[in-house]
Amino acid sequence: MSDSPNVFNRRVVRLHRDRAAAGLKNHDYLFAEVGERLADRLDDIKRRFPLALDLGCHGGELARLVAGRGGIETLVQCDLSPRMARRAGSHCLAADEEFLPFPAACFDLVLSSLSLHWVNDLPGALAQIRLTLKPDGLFLAAMLGGDTCKELRIALAAAEIAEEGGLSPRLSPFADAGDLGALLQRAGFALPVVDQEAIKVSYGDPWKLMADLRGMGESNAVAERRRGFTRRATLMAAASRYRELFGDAEGRVPATFQVIYMTAWAPDPSQPRPLEPGSAKTSLAEALGAAEIPSEEKTKPA
Amino acid sequence: MSERKIDPKLLEILVCPLTKGPLRYDAEAQELISDQAGLAFPIRDGIPIMLLDEARQLDADSAGKGGPVS
Repeated sequence: MSDSPNVFNRRVVRLHRDRAAAGLKNHDYLFAEVGERLADRLDDIKRRFPLALDLGCHGGELARLVAGRGGIETLVQCDLSPRMARRAGSHCLAADEEFLPFPAACFDLVLSSLSLHWVNDLPGALAQIRLTLKPDGLFLAAMLGGDTCKELRIALAAAEIAEEGGLSPRLSPFADAGDLGALLQRAGFALPVVDQEAIKVSYGDPWKLMADLRGMGESNAVAERRRGFTRRATLMAAASRYRELFGDAEGRVPATFQVIYMTAWAPDPSQPRPLEPGSAKTSLAEALGAAEIPSEEKTKPA
Repeated sequence: MSERKIDPKLLEILVCPLTKGPLRYDAEAQELISDQAGLAFPIRDGIPIMLLDEARQLDADSAGKGGPVS
C-alpha cells in the first residue's frame, strides 16, 4: 500500500496506540469525557440498538459507559491497534477503519469516539460505515476538529521558528465541521447533523499535556512529519512560549480540544422526507381564503 | 500463552475487509481465510487481526481447502 498521497502514516498511528495501550488508564480523561457525552446523546434517542459497533474502541472506555444503555445487547469493539483491542474486553478485534471487515446491513448502531481524525480516506470510511448499517441504523460519532490543541500548535511553531529557523508539521490537520455534513451526505447518510463544542482542559504545565497526548496514543503521525527526536531546546522554548501566551496567574495552562459530533442515519423509507412536488391535496388559495386564479390566466399579460 | 477462544459472535459476522466476501475459520491454524482475496488473517489470543498488513498471502494450491465458516 503506497502511503505517498496520504496525510497520516497509519502504521505510526497503530504503533503509537500499541505503545499507549498498557498505560492508557492514566491518560484516558478525554476519552472518558467524550464517551460520556456520546452516551448521553444515545440516551436521548428513543430507540433500541441490539447490535452495535464501536469503531476505534481504544481501551474499551466507551463500552464501559454505554453498557446497558440504548438497548445495546452486543457491542463489537474494534481498534487499529491489536493491543488496544485486547484491553477492550469482549467481542473485540483489530480492524482498520479504511477496510472494515463487516458485511452490509449488519449493525443497528455504529459508534466512534475520537478515532476518525486519524483516517486518511474519510469519505471511504464513512461510505463503509453507512453500508454496514442496517436501514434506519444510526451512526453516532465524535472526532477531533481543527481547533484542537491550537495553543500547542502555536507554541511549537513559534519555538521551532525561533530555535531551528524552520517549521515542520507537528500536529495533525483536522477535519472541519462544515465539510463533515457534506461528507456524510455524500456517503449516502440521511438526516445528517453535525455540531461541535470546545472542551477546555487545564494542565499544571505544558509537559503534562504532551505526556497526556502521548499516553493517549495521539502523538504526531503525519506522514510528512520530521523524523528523529525534537531538539530539547525547541521543546523547552515551546513550553515557555506556551506559558507566556496562554498561562494563567498560577502557571496553569489550558488546552482546547474541539470535538465534532456527527449523527446520521442509514436511509430508510420510514424516515421523514419532503413530499413530491405537485402531491399537495389542498390548494394554497383555499387555505388563505383567496380566489384561485387558473395558471393560464396568470401567464396572460395584464 | 493463555488460550482465548475466538468469540462466536465475531465468527458469525466478520467478512474479508478487502472483498467483503466470506471467511472460513481454520481452528487449527487459528486463521480466518479469505479465499477470494487469497489472504489468511491471524487470530492471536482469541482476537482476530483483520489488518491487511498482518495477513498471510496464501499460495495458490493451499487456497480452496476446507469448508465454509459455521
